[in-house]
Amino acid sequence: MSERDVTRPNDTGRNIPPVAISETSTLVNPTGSWKYIMPRYEDRVAPCNAGCPVGIDIEGYMYLIRQGRLREAADLLVRENPMPAVTGRVCHHPCEDSCNRASLDEAVAIHSVERRLGDMILAAPPPPAPERTRTETVAVIGSGPAGLSCACFLTRMGYGVTVFEAAAEAGGMLRLGIPEYRLPRAILDRQIERIQAAGIDLRTSTRVGTDVPWTELDEFDAVFVAPGAHVGKDSRIEGAEGVTAIRPGLEFLKEVNAGERPDLGERVVVVGGGNTAMDCARSALRLGADVTVLYRRTPREMPAIPQEVREAKQEGVEFEFLAAPIGVELDGGDFTGITCQRMELGEPDESGRRRPVPIEGDVFTVTADTVLTAIGEDCDLSFLPDEVHTTWGLVEVDALGESTSAPVFAGGDVVDLPRSVADALGGGKRAAIGIDHFLREKAGEDVTEVPLDALRFGGGNVSALRYTKDEDPIPREAPVNETVTWDQMNPNHFHTVPRHEDHFHDAVDLRSAFGETNFGLTQKEAIEEAERCLNCGVCNRCELCLIFCPDMAISRREDGGFEIDMRYCKGCGLCAAECPRGAVTMTREGI
Amino acid sequence: MKKVMIGNHAVSWGVLRSRVEVISAYPITPQTQIVEALSDMVADGSLPAQYIKVESEHSAMAACIGASIAGTRTFTATSAQGLALMHEMLHWAAGGRLPVVMANVNRAMAPGWNIWTDQNDSLSQRDTGWIQLYCETNQEVFDTTIQSFKLAEKVNLPVMLVLDAFFLSHTSEPVDVTEQEDVDRFLPRREATFKMDTSDPHAFGALVRPDAYTEMRWHQQEAMREARDVFRQVEDEWEAITGRRYGAVEAYRTEDADLLLVTSGTITSTARTVVDERRAAGEKVGLLKVKMFRPFPTDELRSHLGGVDRVAVLDRNISPGHGGIFAEETRSALYDVPPEDRPILFGYVLGLGGRDVTPGVINDIIDNTRAKNQPEREDLWVGVEL
Amino acid sequence: MSQTIIKQHIPRDDLLASGHLACPGCAAPIAMNLVLKALGPETMVVLPACCWSIIAGPWPQSSLRVPLFHTAFETGAAVASGIKAGLVSRGDTETTVIAWAGDGGTFDIGLQALSGAAERNEDFIYFCYDNEAYMNTGVQRSSATPWGAWTTTTPTSDPEHQPKKDIMAIMAAHRIPYAATASVAYPVDLVEKVKKARTIRGTRFIHILAPCPPGWKTQNDETIDLARMAVERRIFPLLEVENGGDWRFTVDHPGGSIEEYIRRQARFKHLTDQQIELIQTEVAARWEILSKRVKYGT
Repeated sequence: MSERDVTRPNDTGRNIPPVAISETSTLVNPTGSWKYIMPRYEDRVAPCNAGCPVGIDIEGYMYLIRQGRLREAADLLVRENPMPAVTGRVCHHPCEDSCNRASLDEAVAIHSVERRLGDMILAAPPPPAPERTRTETVAVIGSGPAGLSCACFLTRMGYGVTVFEAAAEAGGMLRLGIPEYRLPRAILDRQIERIQAAGIDLRTSTRVGTDVPWTELDEFDAVFVAPGAHVGKDSRIEGAEGVTAIRPGLEFLKEVNAGERPDLGERVVVVGGGNTAMDCARSALRLGADVTVLYRRTPREMPAIPQEVREAKQEGVEFEFLAAPIGVELDGGDFTGITCQRMELGEPDESGRRRPVPIEGDVFTVTADTVLTAIGEDCDLSFLPDEVHTTWGLVEVDALGESTSAPVFAGGDVVDLPRSVADALGGGKRAAIGIDHFLREKAGEDVTEVPLDALRFGGGNVSALRYTKDEDPIPREAPVNETVTWDQMNPNHFHTVPRHEDHFHDAVDLRSAFGETNFGLTQKEAIEEAERCLNCGVCNRCELCLIFCPDMAISRREDGGFEIDMRYCKGCGLCAAECPRGAVTMTREGI
Repeated sequence: MKKVMIGNHAVSWGVLRSRVEVISAYPITPQTQIVEALSDMVADGSLPAQYIKVESEHSAMAACIGASIAGTRTFTATSAQGLALMHEMLHWAAGGRLPVVMANVNRAMAPGWNIWTDQNDSLSQRDTGWIQLYCETNQEVFDTTIQSFKLAEKVNLPVMLVLDAFFLSHTSEPVDVTEQEDVDRFLPRREATFKMDTSDPHAFGALVRPDAYTEMRWHQQEAMREARDVFRQVEDEWEAITGRRYGAVEAYRTEDADLLLVTSGTITSTARTVVDERRAAGEKVGLLKVKMFRPFPTDELRSHLGGVDRVAVLDRNISPGHGGIFAEETRSALYDVPPEDRPILFGYVLGLGGRDVTPGVINDIIDNTRAKNQPEREDLWVGVEL
Repeated sequence: MSQTIIKQHIPRDDLLASGHLACPGCAAPIAMNLVLKALGPETMVVLPACCWSIIAGPWPQSSLRVPLFHTAFETGAAVASGIKAGLVSRGDTETTVIAWAGDGGTFDIGLQALSGAAERNEDFIYFCYDNEAYMNTGVQRSSATPWGAWTTTTPTSDPEHQPKKDIMAIMAAHRIPYAATASVAYPVDLVEKVKKARTIRGTRFIHILAPCPPGWKTQNDETIDLARMAVERRIFPLLEVENGGDWRFTVDHPGGSIEEYIRRQARFKHLTDQQIELIQTEVAARWEILSKRVKYGT
């Protein structure tokens, strides 16, 4: 039993001072132990990227433009899209349709920015041809967007590529189907030249199956099939057989786009609601006709790009909705017009659109000198061997374009619906990746499975930059493949800015004027549009997280990113809630 | 330099000589002349202090605490209601170990309103941790004011110097006002042990849990105990300069006394004359003046009162439910004196609310004390006429 | 970008350390951090009883990198006056002294000392971070509690009867050189006001609304959003008053329905639609009064 004097303080060595004066900071308190949820910097995918069928890092090049790095922005763009001057003009821009900014005021005019960058690229001298690092060669059938895209990416990866083009000039649908006022020939030619300058062996007027038998392609190590869809569907109008006034719209377009100016008469009716129908209608207008488009459903169901429809209307094309042609009107053997059935909308069909249902007895006549039918196109796959399976007229392929008979790959209009230039470009890129993987595996190289998800932007198309593991010029923190939606962003930090609209040709009389009608934006305006981009999902180092953290738990890293000190973070979630662009996620993982 | 002045001005002169740097002031009778004179001194530049005319006594003490933690010498004065209002902050100054000095003019607590002298106001604050020094003359007031700063700053405890309302505060007496250079030698500029300093930032007075609070109070108590010795040293130094000292207690003609009066404040000077008269008549009566109430001079009381036959403690105060406060504290101090040396203690309650304590009253007390073998009750109230 | 980047306007160095004891999502440390950044290290803080007395950390810790004096509830302004006087008496006229008090220690128990100091034009900045109740002691009502709110002393069966005290009018009536309201959701506005206040001599008063997740019964991550909404919907307008007479708004206040603001706080859960209408009317009436002050002065 100790004899310690209980009236004296303990000899514990605690050294309590006479008065409460602080000796340390609160840094000795690990308040991070309080949290049950914690934040993580996790850059996510912007919806424009996720929505782009080509797999362009749109958000990335917008970021670079805002930094004044226009050259790098252009490089990043063309790294993923070999023909931005074309897509900037003709793409149906699903990127803009997904743009989160639309929930704030209006979508960023991405297509206008892309176009400006594309034109800037064309104005500069082409880069040196890529080095031929692989011995293998690949045959590409078709020089439309899919074929050119695949060829381009394959040459960048070091392969020797030969492109077989049945027509006299390369370009596929770009040249044959899309009119000049939408895509000037000069631009298309320059763009194709640029791609060709990479060292592609382009053989025009060479049709595989007739000029070149399929078996000759055995000398190539792989084949990419992208002949496109050029066979206009039969309109099946009763009595139309032999009536020359009724012709497939695609054929008409090929004539016009080759420079011919056929006489269609004074009244033209175009049947169909897609882009081909709009192209036909607007081309017919320029040849001096009054044009009416017949469509069996309503504007809402039209597959054409809304902007095309708008421009067609502005130019004076008339529209007759809920009308389908059922017969021809003849006046003593001369064609005078067509009989139309009035429709109404019934239940939705497989495409999800409401089925047109004839209204019994409601029939009317539309007079016309020429009828152009544009109700869809089919592919001519007769040259393909049986081992390459097709279903419903389309080639069966996997996610990387590999057909049922390797080393045959396919892409573009022959593999999928819906069809677009962007989907074709994307398909060409994916197939190039598929071919590269296939050939490396075949060469005995140690290759892993292509990590498709890691290459994608969200649910969108793949990035070539990621496949070749090149350095991402955009600093992304722990990126995850999730698309950031508007409700994950904090709009309070943004202010509205009106969108720049494209400048249009203001000539009223377009007759015989096939020049470009849409002049896009000025450089300054394009940069201002890039300024409107909200940089969804990717941290832009605005430091709001740091400013609002009640615990000063966020600090700047040397490389410019941020670090959260989990010893002190209490998991309040303010950083995530206030991040304007949803680049911070709260999670229970790791608690 | 000798001057004739009222007690309140003796305080002001003491504050002037002490080169106080921050004064906070809220007026209350009978303290007002202290702060008025200081106001003049500041206005005419003789005292270059910051003077805060606060809006209440609670704020007065709070402001002093602020000035003190900023490292400066600070002062305020109050009385009765004002002192009571400051109560919370008195704890803060003492627990914060801040050498604030305050003059309290002893005045009765209301209700009913009573501005005359009474010790309940200061004694109610005895547990706040302030050193308390009770003065008998205006000279002592002047001297004690200056000494309080030195004592406070040495032990880091606040000091309350106490003077009776009207009998000292408003009564003129001669005061030898020590020269400034002499005071400066005695009391240099305050160099705080700890203070608010942006070059060495700390937090003062944060939450202290049960596991450390006791130790801090221990330190405070140790400082109080130390204060006894420090006061002695302070008086040594002051005596060397001025020739004057007072002592924590003063024993007046106690050597062979068989009856001792215990007094404080101005009652002491009245009691001195009665002792002299009684001594002249051959009675062995003496007087023990208590100056230092906190820390309580237990040892001195034991040594002076132990062995004395009878002791009469004169209290100008009452702790309702117990007795006169000096009496109770003296009784408790004498408990550990061997029983044979323990005097019979008579506690007298008198002079409340400024009622005059005349020589006649004190004579009656002495007679009464001699006459009884035991006090009838622990608090013997003098002159109650219902 | 359409996002105004603000980081260049917020000083970089933290004078507040992590590990403090604020509840997750509390606005009070956000406010303190911004204020101290704006004031810099030559600052001393007086801290009367409030949540921050605990947030600061128990002895022997302090989360502040400047000197801090804990003091009794009602004494913020008085102690600040004393410290300033002490510094001045020793020749230091540059160190900024601030009092940092809650709504209880400002609107109620601290009002006397504040009024006294303001009337004397004492040279310090008084910050009131206002979470609209005595939060530190467990959510009891104060005179800053808005009408209709639940608190532990205004239960839902008989919620707060009185409208929020107009502390800005009170401070303006003292004719102090500078008074302002500020918000943690507008950090640049807050920092600018504090920097401006620092350059002014005399009594300066800044009132900061501080949403409190446990007391307002909101989610931890809603604090900034609610603070912002309070400003936008004119419930807590951001303004400055100079010399008690010149009033001006410092941000835009679009206005609009206060319903979302009210409904997101479960301390108002018991209110009927009609009662919310009444609050809307009151907000509009106060806005009218403020607009007149801005237009005509006081």
